[in-house]
Amino acid sequence: MSAAAQIGDLSFVHQGAGLPALDHVSLMVPAGESTALLGPSGAGKTTLLALLDGRLRGWRGRVSVLGAPLDPDHPPPRAGRPEVGFIFQEFALVERSSVLRNVLNGRLGRMSPVRAALGSPLPRDLEVARAALADCGIADLAERRVDSLSGGQRQRVAIARCLAQEPRLILADEPVSNLDPARAAEILTLLTGAARARGATVLFSSHQPDLARRFADRIVGMRDGRIAFDVAVGDLSDVATADLYRETTALPAIGLRAVT
Amino acid sequence: MRSRGFGGFAAGALVAGAVLWSFATTDVDLSRLLSAGPRIADFLGRMVPPDPTVMNEILKGSAETLRIAILGSLGAVLLSVPLGILASETMVSPVLYRPVRTLLAFIRAIPLILVAMLMVGAVGLGPLPGIIAVAFHATGMLAKFYAEAIDGVSRAPIAALESAGAGPLARLRYAIWPQMAPVVARDTIFRFELNLRESLILGIVGAGGIGFYIQTYVRSFQYDKAASMTLAVIAMVIAIEAINVALRRRFA
Repeated sequence: MSAAAQIGDLSFVHQGAGLPALDHVSLMVPAGESTALLGPSGAGKTTLLALLDGRLRGWRGRVSVLGAPLDPDHPPPRAGRPEVGFIFQEFALVERSSVLRNVLNGRLGRMSPVRAALGSPLPRDLEVARAALADCGIADLAERRVDSLSGGQRQRVAIARCLAQEPRLILADEPVSNLDPARAAEILTLLTGAARARGATVLFSSHQPDLARRFADRIVGMRDGRIAFDVAVGDLSDVATADLYRETTALPAIGLRAVT
Repeated sequence: MRSRGFGGFAAGALVAGAVLWSFATTDVDLSRLLSAGPRIADFLGRMVPPDPTVMNEILKGSAETLRIAILGSLGAVLLSVPLGILASETMVSPVLYRPVRTLLAFIRAIPLILVAMLMVGAVGLGPLPGIIAVAFHATGMLAKFYAEAIDGVSRAPIAALESAGAGPLARLRYAIWPQMAPVVARDTIFRFELNLRESLILGIVGAGGIGFYIQTYVRSFQYDKAASMTLAVIAMVIAIEAINVALRRRFA
């Protein structure tokens, strides 16, 4: 089994924070599969995904993504960035631009810098963008402005933009946390299906065990910046899941002591 | 409560002191004050009826004021684009934007009429000193607005494009500019309106436009003609206001 991402003894502390967001994390993300990062808020899921996307500096450890090692002190070379797609929790779309323009923005890294700045997409760029729109079921919304869309429609645009990038690894940060359960299942079906059709690896984070169980091949449990478990979906035990979400006792205890 | 009562008393004493000081040091002679009423009435009387034969001068002066405002605004936009970027917290380091912001505040602090007077001294009478003065004065505000427009842009779409591998120019064009454009358009129109309004009186110091005629007529005691020009200024201000209200409704 080859790895889409390989992480060894990775630690990271956010600037000004006391506790590490990631604490000696070692993990292998298998290529061609769908892996879920499961865990409560503050477990370090977003940090880990942003780090794999090459957006964080100053971490310690060894990280390689799609076979290329990341440098903790420098951003990754621009040429390789389209290979890793990212779906943001808050969509991160340009609200005043059209749906098609937003999806074409995913092609900018595949164009020459001059062509990207001039804004003249090649027929192939348009073709890929249109195909991504169609795959996400929003071909008819191409000319609409994003600020006129619903949350579910926006998430589809964000996924289409990511697909237009033609990534080999798709990182998705809580892609359905803003959606109702029916809409959430639709979006995850779409995301994992489109990735499988393209042979791309998916690593998505979620705080909902049922969704992770339904849409992932592998589930990685995270808590307090550490990996709690890393299992195939069939091996996930309810006990392990419950332990992931156990209540933190440290804070109330401190509070009680302060009162007495 | 006691300190607040004392504060109120102190404020009252300060205001009373300022009024007394102004009376004591200004020559407000009671007889002169009483005779001022009839004099003003006489002055206004000589303004009626306004002389309608100055229509030509009104058109010429208004057109020149409009040209000063347009070219002055153009100059301000051209200066504000680079200065706005240099005054932006998100584009340059504090070492650069702090002094640029101080410079802009300094420019804003100089009244337009003063800049115009200095420019008339430097380049002579006519619309040119007016245009330079408007461009200079308006840049103090417009560059600050542009900087705020840049800094007000949401960072997430920019990060998304960077993550997709887009270069700085492509990010500027497709993530930053679409968010800024409506703010920049609104601020530029707002500043143009102020420029037009403020350049109406620039002629009084010799910097061209309709104000020049008013000053000339008043100095040569042709109050009926000055009255016509003044009415034209009032009409223009009302027209600018009406257009502005209509534009604001469109942007809302």
